Amino acid sequence: MPSGPNMTSLSRRDFLRLSSRALLAVSGLLGSGALWRFLSHPTEPPVQTEFDVGPAENYPPGSRTLRPEVPAVVLHGEAGFSALSLVCPHLGCTVEQTAAGFACPCHGSTFAAGGEVLRGPAGAALRSLHIEQNPEGHLVIHTQ
Amino acid sequence: MTQRLVLGACVVLLAAAGLTWWRQQGAPEPLALTPTLTGEVEYCLTCHADLAQISASHPVESYGCVICHGGERLALDADLAHSSMRGGKNPSDLSVAEQSCGGADCHSGPVEEWRNQIERVKSSIMATYAGAIAQARYTFGAQPDLTPLFGMRAVQDTTLPSLTEIYTLEEFNPGAEAIPELPTFAEDCLNCHLWAEPRLGGAYTRFTGCAACHTPPSSTQAQNAAGTHTLTTAIPYTQCNTCHYRGSYAVQTLTFTERPTHPVSRLLDYYPEEKQIALCELTLDCIDCHTHIETMGCGDIHPDQFSIDHLCNACHGTLYDLPLTRTLSDPTEIAFRFAALNPVIDLQLGDTILVSEHRNQPMWNIRLLPDGTYELFGKASGERFVFRAVKGSGCQQSMEQQAAQYCHECHAIGP
Repeated sequence: MPSGPNMTSLSRRDFLRLSSRALLAVSGLLGSGALWRFLSHPTEPPVQTEFDVGPAENYPPGSRTLRPEVPAVVLHGEAGFSALSLVCPHLGCTVEQTAAGFACPCHGSTFAAGGEVLRGPAGAALRSLHIEQNPEGHLVIHTQ
Repeated sequence: MTQRLVLGACVVLLAAAGLTWWRQQGAPEPLALTPTLTGEVEYCLTCHADLAQISASHPVESYGCVICHGGERLALDADLAHSSMRGGKNPSDLSVAEQSCGGADCHSGPVEEWRNQIERVKSSIMATYAGAIAQARYTFGAQPDLTPLFGMRAVQDTTLPSLTEIYTLEEFNPGAEAIPELPTFAEDCLNCHLWAEPRLGGAYTRFTGCAACHTPPSSTQAQNAAGTHTLTTAIPYTQCNTCHYRGSYAVQTLTFTERPTHPVSRLLDYYPEEKQIALCELTLDCIDCHTHIETMGCGDIHPDQFSIDHLCNACHGTLYDLPLTRTLSDPTEIAFRFAALNPVIDLQLGDTILVSEHRNQPMWNIRLLPDGTYELFGKASGERFVFRAVKGSGCQQSMEQQAAQYCHECHAIGP
């Protein structure tokens, strides 16, 4: 059986040339991939600023619901839904709910149930957060 | 030739890619933390997630690591991440404490002077060592009296007017002294102050700066381990012991005799044999009586420890006067702040607490009881002690003899 012309024409020189081009192509692809990965690498992962805290019906009128993942408290008052940040405006610790309102476990600041400062060192009230209901009926808290 | 170069470069590139891939396979998954205080992501927890919280007042979720320690927050390579850390393992060293611990919301430059701790510490007797230096220079004739002229670093009183009328100290330079004994004094005796690394030996192991006092080894660590990740205001006497009563100095010969071992019995080993002590000095921790102003400085430059020393009458009063007190009527009173940081006592508005004679500081852990006695809660131990005033007792001490040595004549205890 006669051998094909292509098989017989692949000389050692052609084989080396083909191999080196393949190596060059693989290197180029790898280099480009690495460059793309380097340039697109998110060194600063995005900070979450929107939190879907579930269906609005989970928050009955008069309720005060802690959402530690935000961290915030969702209030359902006569005027509708509102949210207070649980981040202490003094040095960023997460305040805890108490009978009188909120207290910071780090430096002892206390806040009324509406977020107003009762005792420092915090110099400002707990921050009000924007809260809205999305088309699916879920409450969404925006921290920025 | 060109082709060979290109091929060589390709091989190198492939090898580098393979090596990078191999290294990444062994690297831990980056663990990001975005502290609420800074809002900037940092990857320190990738390797340090097992570190205990440093204190209830500085939770890592709020502060992160970098705001205190410095370092490269986005680096995953240990050497790079640690390359710009402040103070190595101790960001509270006084050379960097301003950057690490300072700031108007933290420990320097606030509106309230009492919270300006870093500046006060730098001019405090524990940092300047001014009294010991003046004593040594005076003893060897380098200065005509005991007026302090030098400190371990040059300092200036920034809180004028000064009660002590000492406004500046120059930096002590033993090498510039003409008297040959003074460099020896510097070598043997100047390792107690807060700028200095401690002497070798387990009984003396401590950090420098703020951590010299506020970072005692935990109870689970060996007593000589100064490596714990802790900041506390509940400082046990053993931490004070790393400088105080760790041996005896002889100014005449400029020699220091170390205590050979870490004290086991406080009564038998802790105090020098010649020192008389009362029961409170055996059962309480130093900070139960000594206020933050006494220990960390009041802003004035003091000539020696005796000018700020705490006397027995601060707690017990005299034959004719009860100890100074203040009834808490303001919820913003700093006594509440201290009690919240170290919750050993449930202070309430209307409580009457002792205050110190020196700058009228609250001794917030000591409260007047309805029967006229006083209760003291150990700041480190949490233990409750009840004591009474001298007034109305059988004590016959002269009003001119209020120093501890006179009280010890009757109230000293011994082995």
